[in-house]
Amino acid sequence: MSLAVDLSIAAGLVVLAWRSLAGRDLFRGIVMYIVFGLLLAVTWARLGSPDLAMAEAAIGAGVTGALLMVAYWRLKRISPAEPEDRSPRRSRLAATVALLSTGMVAAIGLAAVQAIGPGGIAGRALFEALPATGLGNPITGVLVVFRNLDTVLEVAVLLAAYLAVRAVLGDRGESLAQPPPQEARLVGALVGVVAPLSVLVALYLLRAGSYLPGGAFQAGATLAACGVLLLLTGRLRAAADAGPWVRGALVVGTAVFGLFGVAMLAFGEPLLAIPGTWAVYLIETAMMVSIAVTLMLLFAGAAGLGGGRR
Amino acid sequence: MTSATVWVLAAASIFGVGLYALIVARHLLRQLIAVNVMGSAVFVLLVVAAGPIAGALDGIPLALVLTGIVVAVSATGFALALLVRLAEATGSISLEDDGEPDDR
Repeated sequence: MSLAVDLSIAAGLVVLAWRSLAGRDLFRGIVMYIVFGLLLAVTWARLGSPDLAMAEAAIGAGVTGALLMVAYWRLKRISPAEPEDRSPRRSRLAATVALLSTGMVAAIGLAAVQAIGPGGIAGRALFEALPATGLGNPITGVLVVFRNLDTVLEVAVLLAAYLAVRAVLGDRGESLAQPPPQEARLVGALVGVVAPLSVLVALYLLRAGSYLPGGAFQAGATLAACGVLLLLTGRLRAAADAGPWVRGALVVGTAVFGLFGVAMLAFGEPLLAIPGTWAVYLIETAMMVSIAVTLMLLFAGAAGLGGGRR
Repeated sequence: MTSATVWVLAAASIFGVGLYALIVARHLLRQLIAVNVMGSAVFVLLVVAAGPIAGALDGIPLALVLTGIVVAVSATGFALALLVRLAEATGSISLEDDGEPDDR
């Protein structure tokens, strides 16, 4: 019975992956990709990882989907005449590529089926060492305590992505969509309810992340989703320049994590040692702010954010 | 057939679908979706192949995948910016030359 559930979710994933990549209509492909991300979130939940389910739904499906939609809209505006996608026009190589891809599937499948193991040495060491950190969530343990150099660099990657986008697009502040002058009353009511709730959910995820599913990434993605809503409804607008608040928010994650890690050297501790759960909360809060603002700016494709009309 | 086998085979198939589309598709946005699909397949492989420890999933691949999801969205955002600039500069949204022999 449980195998049947696995089989149907897995089959759905394969079909959605195919539907998002085949077919002429690119917009439909993007929508299918978002649904694929949501089913992948179900997969993570099914496999037993609510942390990844939340991250996948918020970032993998939500933010990536929003980014793809905005890019699609921009490309449409630059060259409306460009055919949507000429892709399924048969290339002579298509059959060969299909054959090679199938061979690759077989090779990966065989190798991975043999590689399924009973968990690694590092995984067991993690479960033994976790109680000493005062954390209950092994993922937060790995991210903030055991392998935190990876996490510092990851927040730095986000910052680098923002800088790279700015280098490529220049200082732009074009707004994504002009909200109509007469806004429907429901929009204001919706934003009034959803925005505070998102902040509440984000703070809960941040707090819960040390012992339950949640953490800085899920919290940051929730805040970013709230920011996308504010951008789309004109409460926030894209600006051509990043003010001091936006700049501060962009670097606070990398800065707090990095400075904290270096400061521990002065106390005779190793680099990036974490003295207690209070430090975990401090670092995760800073990371949440940076992740949220960076994702919002990537979505807006702009240098900074400004207050909206309403 | 165990459920781990089901997931591994599904992930391998999704990777194959993504690889095929990456090579065959001409629109760059479509190719970018293909790369993302392949990435998702790798994430599933990573977690499932690691196997459980005492009934729970191994925390280390989970943390790696969480990092991977965020890095993937950063890279996607950058790639989309490059794509928009390419379209502005050339008016075309693919890397094809017009007179490519195997085109038709």
